[in-house]
Amino acid sequence: MGNVYANSYLIVFVFLCIGVLLPVGALTLGKLLRPHVPSEAKQTTYESGNNPFHDSRVQFQVRYYMFALLFVIFDVETVFLYPWAVAYNKLGLFALIEMLIFVLMLVLGLIYAWKKKVLQWM
Amino acid sequence: MSGEYLAFLALALVAITGGVLMLNLTKVVHMVIALVFTFISIAGLYVLLSAEFVAVVQVLIYSGAVTIMMLFGIMLTRHQEEEGEKTTTGGFWRKALTAIAVFAFGIAVYLGVYRLDFGEEGARLHENNTEQIGMALYSHYTIPFEIASVILLVALVGAIILAKKDDEGAPKS
Amino acid sequence: MEQLLNSVPSWTNVAIFFGLGAALLLMVLAFVTYGILAERKVMGFMQGRYGPNQVGGRWGLLQTVADVLKLLLKEDTIPKAADRPLFILAPILAFAPAFMVLAVLPFTDAFQFADIGVGLLYYIAVSGLTTIGVVTGGWASNNKYALIGGMRAAAQMISYEIPLVMSVLGVVLLTGSLNLNDIVEAQKNVWYIFTQPVAFIVFLIAAVSELNRTPFDLPEAESELVAGFHVEYSGFRWAFFMLAEYVYLFAMAALTTILFLGGWHPVMFLGFIPGPVWFALKFSVVVFVLIWFRATFPRLRADQLMELGWKVLFPVALANIFVTALVKELFF
Repeated sequence: MGNVYANSYLIVFVFLCIGVLLPVGALTLGKLLRPHVPSEAKQTTYESGNNPFHDSRVQFQVRYYMFALLFVIFDVETVFLYPWAVAYNKLGLFALIEMLIFVLMLVLGLIYAWKKKVLQWM
Repeated sequence: MSGEYLAFLALALVAITGGVLMLNLTKVVHMVIALVFTFISIAGLYVLLSAEFVAVVQVLIYSGAVTIMMLFGIMLTRHQEEEGEKTTTGGFWRKALTAIAVFAFGIAVYLGVYRLDFGEEGARLHENNTEQIGMALYSHYTIPFEIASVILLVALVGAIILAKKDDEGAPKS
Repeated sequence: MEQLLNSVPSWTNVAIFFGLGAALLLMVLAFVTYGILAERKVMGFMQGRYGPNQVGGRWGLLQTVADVLKLLLKEDTIPKAADRPLFILAPILAFAPAFMVLAVLPFTDAFQFADIGVGLLYYIAVSGLTTIGVVTGGWASNNKYALIGGMRAAAQMISYEIPLVMSVLGVVLLTGSLNLNDIVEAQKNVWYIFTQPVAFIVFLIAAVSELNRTPFDLPEAESELVAGFHVEYSGFRWAFFMLAEYVYLFAMAALTTILFLGGWHPVMFLGFIPGPVWFALKFSVVVFVLIWFRATFPRLRADQLMELGWKVLFPVALANIFVTALVKELFF
């Protein structure tokens, strides 16, 4: 491992620590300053002034899941596209055709999803 | 380098804790969040191995995308029933057998790892990591790469067919 | 910084990095404080109002400071029905990635932190983690509005992450590197906004959506969902969700400057003005444009939003990549 590499990831780690320490620290400090007078009414769940009814963890429609799935598939595609774009200078035309075939396959999938109205929200 | 060793220990500890928590927690959403910590510490382990591209992909695909997909999947299902009492499993013999199996597996892995010959260690892995991957992937491994696209397409189309079938029977909400 | 990066890693280095990181944190907090004030002032100006003008003189300079102090003194309530551990964890899950992405942004050639080879992808990957914090917060609140808001926010964020990631690929193709320093260096003569205009437009739209700002602020649509995923949050826990949002505004404006506006490079012959000034100028322009959007555009409908992402931006970004690759192959 080179020094720049190691130091850079040390910085990432330090930033993670700061990012966690700030909320933890601020909330602990705030505990000393803020009032704490819990009451039954305050701790009920907000529902536009009504008493909460039923369980709030409702069953969501399948289309949310479809978008998540599309996201995973195309995220994997971008993961393939990134090294290709970086190395493109040294690869040339063959790599372009290779990638065209790859993307066309997934575009087929996208068109299929489009035709099946998966991309429609309502 | 002792710093590297320390980082490895910490990351491995978080990864294992996350995994154990995932198995032991009762609520499904808690399990997924525990899994996120495992995924992120595995990304950290990749960084220690000079594989920064793989590390970032690990965060992007697993901690980001797959976790969201799991969360959405949980929201799709009703999950009150499974938060009931845990059932106790197995008697003494079963536990003993499991323990022996775990130990045997551990020893096998230990021996395997220490006898493994990694060949020459790549000293320049951290320089232009992404470019090296790109060069290898698109000049030597063309066919597996194209097959990956077919697999992704099959996954996409299959999921749409399954979901559409499910959707027709489900009530509108 | 460069010297420090080349030194042997040690505990002293960690301490120095911690100090520098804390300094950056203070800078970002100052930006957020005055960014919010600027937003209110600019929007007031555009809507023919005054905006804050009481606390801290004629310009309302202490307005945000007063707001923060007020939040600090607010009682912190956790609803009984909420999932306590996750309710507490969610703001941290949302905020920590927001600060982590700042580690790789080169503000000027001297003022920058980590110099990693996959900088751009690191930004995208880590910023994706905030979505988990949002869904977790919505779920842990055990509130119908919060859960629906959280799910909507997540669905929107993931739908726009794809065009965002794809649009940037045009820039990566031209540079041949994911390192943000290399990307800025490659724009010494021509900024990428001129060579990659399509990518820039897609990136800007997707970025506004990722930031959950108007016209894409559906997750927080106050008239429909009360306040979205953070209905049940109060006091400083709520403040951390908002802080994360504004830190992302900072990060995204900085990233736009780095990717498309040439970072700290000067305009043509005006090289005598130092780099930091140039960066600050471009950065401010981007922030101003984002505020301008907020004052100008009406909110989109949920179905329009999703279809815009998948049916327009995504194919356009994809086409842009191949046109760029083809042009590069044929003419360079």
